[in-house]
Amino acid sequence: MRSKILIVDDMELNREMLTAILEDEYPVVEAESGKKAIEILEELQDEVAVVLLDLIMPDMDGYEVLEEMRRRLWMDKIPVLVISAESKVAAERKCFELGVSDFIHKPFDNAIVRNRVKNTVDLFTYKNELEEKVEKQTETLKKQYRLLAAQATKLKESNVKIIDILGTVVECRNLESGEHVKRVKGFTRILAEQAMKDYPEYGLTPELIDMIFSASALHDVGKIAISDGILLKPGRLTKEEFDIMKTHTIKGCEVLEHIEDVWDETYGRISYEICRSHHERYDGRGYPDGLEGENIPVSAQLVSLADVYDALVSERVYKKAYSLEEAFRMIQAGECGVFSPKLLECFSRAREKFEQLAQEQHQS
Amino acid sequence: MTLKECYAALGADFEGTLGRLCSEKLVQKFALKFLADESYPTLEKAMEEENYTDAFRASHTLKGVCANLGYTRLYEASDVLTEALRDGKKPADDTLLEQVKDEYRRTVELLQELQNTV
Repeated sequence: MRSKILIVDDMELNREMLTAILEDEYPVVEAESGKKAIEILEELQDEVAVVLLDLIMPDMDGYEVLEEMRRRLWMDKIPVLVISAESKVAAERKCFELGVSDFIHKPFDNAIVRNRVKNTVDLFTYKNELEEKVEKQTETLKKQYRLLAAQATKLKESNVKIIDILGTVVECRNLESGEHVKRVKGFTRILAEQAMKDYPEYGLTPELIDMIFSASALHDVGKIAISDGILLKPGRLTKEEFDIMKTHTIKGCEVLEHIEDVWDETYGRISYEICRSHHERYDGRGYPDGLEGENIPVSAQLVSLADVYDALVSERVYKKAYSLEEAFRMIQAGECGVFSPKLLECFSRAREKFEQLAQEQHQS
Repeated sequence: MTLKECYAALGADFEGTLGRLCSEKLVQKFALKFLADESYPTLEKAMEEENYTDAFRASHTLKGVCANLGYTRLYEASDVLTEALRDGKKPADDTLLEQVKDEYRRTVELLQELQNTV
């Protein structure tokens, strides 16, 4: 608590006169020189409520005391009242420039000195308290911000976890290997990054690509609702069986709707788009909604191409793997799905990366 | 001799000083303390040594003390000397110190008389 008054004057008589005025209300400390004043402040800087300062003193004068206090950043915390017989306006102006709170001329009036001291002490007590409060509140806000940031990170982690769990479920059920899911994710990222670079109109960002990358693992989640008889049938599907198979897009969306409230909105939306629309065709002849052109969400378009590419370059029970060369040609020629010319352009530009990943994955 | 009579003899401002210091007891206490005040002896010594920086400081201090105690005539004399000494200059007018000295002696004599009575 700041309550002490420091009186700095080289003349004993002057110090005594001020002490006589103030000692009834405040503990008074006296310094007979500027140097002594700085020494006392070093020790009592958190206890001194106001400094009463004489200007004209030998060795270190009042101005030098003010400069030293300023250098040590005490002026913001400790108010200074100058008491002087100095009648030059320039001297008074210089004091205010150095940050004093008030300038009292000699001869001084006891009642006025007492009141000016009281006002200054009260004002600075109030100011210091406010600053302390603001500091505390800022600290509290910072803490809350850190907490929120930690929660956001946790939420993001759980989004990814939900996707991983669902993805694992698909793998277990589907018998279509976990490698397929991993490769589709990889191809999706390569294509998305190329599209971000070449076609800003898609509005892709690194964050969005991360989400699409994660969510692409869910493209076939609806297959968990397809019976084993159809899903695992080694031979060709009949028309009826194929119609049921096609419902895995809608079924996937139903699964996702159940967990809608659990995760981040954007994650939910992107996963939904991918599940529902990864079998749409750019010419509008895909399923389940027959969406055409850019009405197909870009996330689904990306995964769709990645999915088809992987199906072509992988061996399946009913077919051998096509060569990378052939797979590239078939997609570009529209023999296996119809894609946006822009994405085909991206696919072409990123061909090397696709083929590198395809080779790595098949070797391992 | 009372305090009031002493002030009257000095041509000093008793009412004003009492008003500012609020009690006659305080006025008397500090009025007499002036006898032990070192600012005039310091001033005289600095002038002898032609150290006008120290002389300015001492004169300035003397002026301040006199202002507070209401020693109007000594205040006025030291005020003129202070301005003549400002920035460590040698005063152009040699008589300024003499005027301060005369006033100081007169003041001290009367204060001593007061001290002897109380």
